Amino acid sequence: MVKFEAGMESMVDMFIYESTSLLEQLDQILLRTESSNGFGDEDINEIFRIMHTIKGSSAMMGLNNMSVLAHRVEDMFYVLREEHPVLENAEDLFNLVFAASDLLKAEIELIQDENSEPTDFSEEIKKIEDYLNILKNGGKPEAQATQAQSAQTDSSPEDANLTQVRVFFEDGCEMENLRALLLVNKISDDCAVLKYIPEDIETNPSSAKEIIDHGFLIKFQAENDEQTIFRAIEDALNVKSYEVVEKKSAQPVQTETKKEPESQKVSDKQSPEQETTAPAEKAKPKQSVEQINSMLGHKSGSKQSLISVNLNKLDLLLDMVGEIVIAEAMVVANPDLKNLKLDNFQKSARQLRKLTDELQDIVMSIRMVPLSGAFSKMTRVVRDMKMKLNKDVNLVFEGEETEVDKSVIDILNDPLMHMVRNSMDHGIEATAEERIAAGKPEKGTITLSAYNSSGEVIILVSDDGAGINKHKVLEKAKKNGLLTKDESEYSDKEIFNMIMLPGFSTNEQVTEYSGRGVGMDVVIKNIEKIGGTVSVDSIEGEGTDFIIKIPLSLAIVDGIEVAVGESIFTIPINAVKESFKIDQTQLITDTSGREMIKLRGECYPLIRLHEYFGIQGAITDPLAAMVMLVESEGKSACFLLDKLMGEQQVVVKPFSALLNRFNVKQNGMAGCTILGDGSITIILDISNMILSY
Amino acid sequence: MSEELYAESVKNFLTGGGEVLMFYIEEKLYAFDIQYVTEIIQMQPLTYVPKVPEYIRGVINIRGKVVPVISIRKKFGMDEQVYDKRTCMIVVDLGDYQAALIVDRMYEVLTVAPDAICPTPDFKNVNTNKYIQNIIDLGQDTIMLLQIRRLVLE
Repeated sequence: MVKFEAGMESMVDMFIYESTSLLEQLDQILLRTESSNGFGDEDINEIFRIMHTIKGSSAMMGLNNMSVLAHRVEDMFYVLREEHPVLENAEDLFNLVFAASDLLKAEIELIQDENSEPTDFSEEIKKIEDYLNILKNGGKPEAQATQAQSAQTDSSPEDANLTQVRVFFEDGCEMENLRALLLVNKISDDCAVLKYIPEDIETNPSSAKEIIDHGFLIKFQAENDEQTIFRAIEDALNVKSYEVVEKKSAQPVQTETKKEPESQKVSDKQSPEQETTAPAEKAKPKQSVEQINSMLGHKSGSKQSLISVNLNKLDLLLDMVGEIVIAEAMVVANPDLKNLKLDNFQKSARQLRKLTDELQDIVMSIRMVPLSGAFSKMTRVVRDMKMKLNKDVNLVFEGEETEVDKSVIDILNDPLMHMVRNSMDHGIEATAEERIAAGKPEKGTITLSAYNSSGEVIILVSDDGAGINKHKVLEKAKKNGLLTKDESEYSDKEIFNMIMLPGFSTNEQVTEYSGRGVGMDVVIKNIEKIGGTVSVDSIEGEGTDFIIKIPLSLAIVDGIEVAVGESIFTIPINAVKESFKIDQTQLITDTSGREMIKLRGECYPLIRLHEYFGIQGAITDPLAAMVMLVESEGKSACFLLDKLMGEQQVVVKPFSALLNRFNVKQNGMAGCTILGDGSITIILDISNMILSY
Repeated sequence: MSEELYAESVKNFLTGGGEVLMFYIEEKLYAFDIQYVTEIIQMQPLTYVPKVPEYIRGVINIRGKVVPVISIRKKFGMDEQVYDKRTCMIVVDLGDYQAALIVDRMYEVLTVAPDAICPTPDFKNVNTNKYIQNIIDLGQDTIMLLQIRRLVLE
């Protein structure tokens, strides 16, 4: 079943984006006000506005359940704003609003799932209504809301002082009543008095017809500047035109069509009127004209300088740039040009190279998003868990301005949440007494930090809790049959990393948040999907660190091309430590015939690439061939290869679906790339190769 | 295109006929349903991909896309021939999978009427003709119409 109104499909993306960001904003305000214990007027207005917008836009989409819920929350804040009741149980209010925000978020996520029914929010709405009653009774007994409503309905003689505007919507834009409601919502903040005809636009769909036939009549008195309201009307969605009906009906009707210079004239006419309505303008009646002029002149400039773009388009752009980089190399390194002396060509080619490099940088930077968004989502997680687990914890951010690719952020949210939950639940000691006994401050600290390091972004989730007990981990692993070698052979690091194995959980008690042994392995899967790694470090009694490493950019890597027989492979340059030739003394063979290379007192396993990949015709004598020391995730190995071909920036292309059926990734191939001459090389997956050797 | 869609198109071909692209392997005529063929290209240098079945001869670059190359001879258990100037690759697109298939030489395109199509007998225990979708009877010539999806994926 499609939940939203027909004809609204094109708006869905926009709706989801807008509502989600509003709800995030709401969470942030709530968190801030909760910690400072009380709403400022600003906050109340802001929350009111957010709920108002969500109410309106979800009603427009035909999502009535969301609209009603948002309406109730809005009601609550209306009472708060108007009556300033004494909040005796503010906690309940916060919980109610948080719950409503969560429900709305969940509903937005389900919006495109055609199989699910719209969620029934009646229970939550009931709760809010109950609370609303308490609020109203606690405050003044008379609800001002009804007063305001009645003020709207009676046509008092004051009407004469109001500016009247008749708005017409575009033909066939549908649901004119809701569009009118949106318009009213938009301008309501700037109006001291606001009335409109027809009045029942919110509840009566048939009012749409009246609006089509007679236009939508708004009567208002501006709070400050009438022009802001005209402009709001002008900018509103689907507004075809509007006319200003003079307040004295004796005067002829001024008609004004949207975005025509005549609007100046109208505003000129309007200015004497403004003297009565907006006293601030009295001294300088000319100003409004100037303002309008400057508004018209800077219309595009004064609009916000941010736009939201569909990620698919950016992906496409990135692909295109990748193609250009390849095509450029194809032209410059064209075999037809060999042995030709082309000074001017080379000069232009260098210029082209510079430009494509810059283009690539810009495109990559467009996709970069600071981690602060992902981090601040964790505030909410910590807040909720603090209540449930009764632990007092501080969440600290460091380096949240570090930027990563947008696709990385999306995948990072879940893992971060699991890790923070894990730190809250298992990391931080259960009681404050335990912490004091261990000589730590009563309040625990969880630190989220991020920084750049050699082409990777490193994200740390650290807590100052109890740390990991190695013996407990080993015992548990033994019990769950996760040990693959003798207990004594495990290094500290291996033991710590065990906690991320599926089916592992040291917590005796399974809680709502963690302890089931699922979650941490999901964390790893998600991170590995984007080519990252996760490791754990811990000092018992002092705390635990989760270390996430992710590649900065996913699509373009610096690589070294190496030849093995007739095949050419690309090795990501950040994995390469050094390459060298060896002599007989450096080559060691152990009892089972495995070869090792001794270098500066350390021994590294030797992986013969030709054997590993089964390639014929390669140099098999280690002394004649080239040796390359590679490192990934703290593990090193030496590769035996024929020769180095050179260094190049390459665009990573994923393997086609057909090849992925053969587990190429597990077999040490990360993807392929197209070189300047159009030929393909395979990019090696160093960490998988070392692990599987 | 999903598996179900493919199965449906196989059925449609049996009842309604259609155009086929014919080619030779070991002097025998085979054909593909032409709607899956995107292009025919000359042999070009292949990039060897290690650790995959032998019938995948490597990958090639088709306008920026990395496409795996499958040898039909290897699939049929024949010896790989020496590539000459008549050897070429038929690029097929199954929607979810793309592949280039090596054939000995191209022949021509033919419109097949439904009455020329004979279903293959279903040998219960013989796996050898699982790649054959139908036999097309043209009087003196018979053409084996290949089941592309199976050929590429199984």
